[in-house]
Amino acid sequence: MEHLTLRFSGAILLSFLVALILSIIHLPESLQVWRPEWIALIIIHWAIFFPKKMNYLTVWIVGLLIDTLWGNTLGQHALGFSLILFLTTRMSERITPKTLLQFFFLVFISIGTYLLVNLWVLGITQNKPNNWSYWLPLVSSLITWPFIHALLNRLHIAKKGF
Amino acid sequence: MHAKDSSTTKTLHFAAFAFLSVLLITADYRDSIPAARTGLSIAVYPLKVIADFPHRTTQAISEFFTSHEKLSKENKELRKMVTIYSARDQKYRSIAAQNTRLRDVLHIAEMFDDSYLLADILKVDSGHFRQTVTINKGSKQGAYEGQIALAGNSIFGQIIHASTQSSSVMQLSDTKHSIPVRNSRTGKTALAVGTGEVNVVRLEHIKDIDDIKTGDLYISSGLGLLFPPDFPVAVVKEKHYNPADSMTTISAKTVTDFNRTRELLLIWQAKRTLEEQEN
Repeated sequence: MEHLTLRFSGAILLSFLVALILSIIHLPESLQVWRPEWIALIIIHWAIFFPKKMNYLTVWIVGLLIDTLWGNTLGQHALGFSLILFLTTRMSERITPKTLLQFFFLVFISIGTYLLVNLWVLGITQNKPNNWSYWLPLVSSLITWPFIHALLNRLHIAKKGF
Repeated sequence: MHAKDSSTTKTLHFAAFAFLSVLLITADYRDSIPAARTGLSIAVYPLKVIADFPHRTTQAISEFFTSHEKLSKENKELRKMVTIYSARDQKYRSIAAQNTRLRDVLHIAEMFDDSYLLADILKVDSGHFRQTVTINKGSKQGAYEGQIALAGNSIFGQIIHASTQSSSVMQLSDTKHSIPVRNSRTGKTALAVGTGEVNVVRLEHIKDIDDIKTGDLYISSGLGLLFPPDFPVAVVKEKHYNPADSMTTISAKTVTDFNRTRELLLIWQAKRTLEEQEN
């Protein structure tokens, strides 16, 4: 895992740009509640495979951009993404990166906690969602995780294992 | 030993950024840093334009391939509408002239005409349970915070934030939005509050609930002086009695179809005063 290198410089930046656009691209109304947490997923991926390239300042700024794009209170997703980076870096030290199941567990815990904190902030700022569909992105994120992971894997070379 | 140090540093980093986020949330919730939002809006505008691009292109292509027959039919209908509207405009002019004359007689200040500007909606989604859209007109074109946006002949919402080239408009159905309305049948007032669901508002502050029937049209009352009076807002869809808190909620469907609207009319309202409201 230590010998991974990016296929080209700016790969991480590119992946974030694409994820930002995917986060706001127009979907049919019925699909909107199922939109996966793209940014959260790629933060998890890069935090596991390139922990040196991910720092709090980066994810914090990306969080601010998402807050602006989605019209949330500034700082809400900045807090959420920082939390994801923290949880992922702490947990990735403890899991075996070879088992898919443990990865799913990590994604579930990270994104679940992130959504929970988001819900608190929404509640405090009087913008509380009123039904269960708030939690659907957790399901869709878990479903899309293997694909995102496989796709982002192509952005670095000398991949070992997994 | 070294590993432990590095993990402590990481935790401290996280704590610092979490604290910073909480400060920012507090500050932004109190609206004390509008400049930050303006700066960020300008920064993310290109992303919104890119995300809007596929939708815009498919729309342009489908328009390009519309059949001649359909176009000529549409053209004919539009011509008919223009004729009708110009006749109505004529009538409006005569009424306006009459109004000016009467105001002269009564020595009341002249009423100015509202002016309008057409703005395009960028087709990008906002976050969960937020009902806001971005338009391509900003403070450079004169848009300002609190300005009213119309969708044709019904109310769409109001501008909540104007940056230089773009602004965000809060729809009637956003949870943070409410508008004073009046039942067009009984004349009784209410408040239409957004629910966060597309095209649905909730009616609140109603005195006599039995008086309301499904299908009643609520129009803007003009109270509060923000919204222009007598624009259609919502039609009562259902009354729902909740035995848990013995409250009846009344949900209404907005007249504006927020999914279909592509363009907005920004209006600069002629100044209205309280005395004029009472007249």
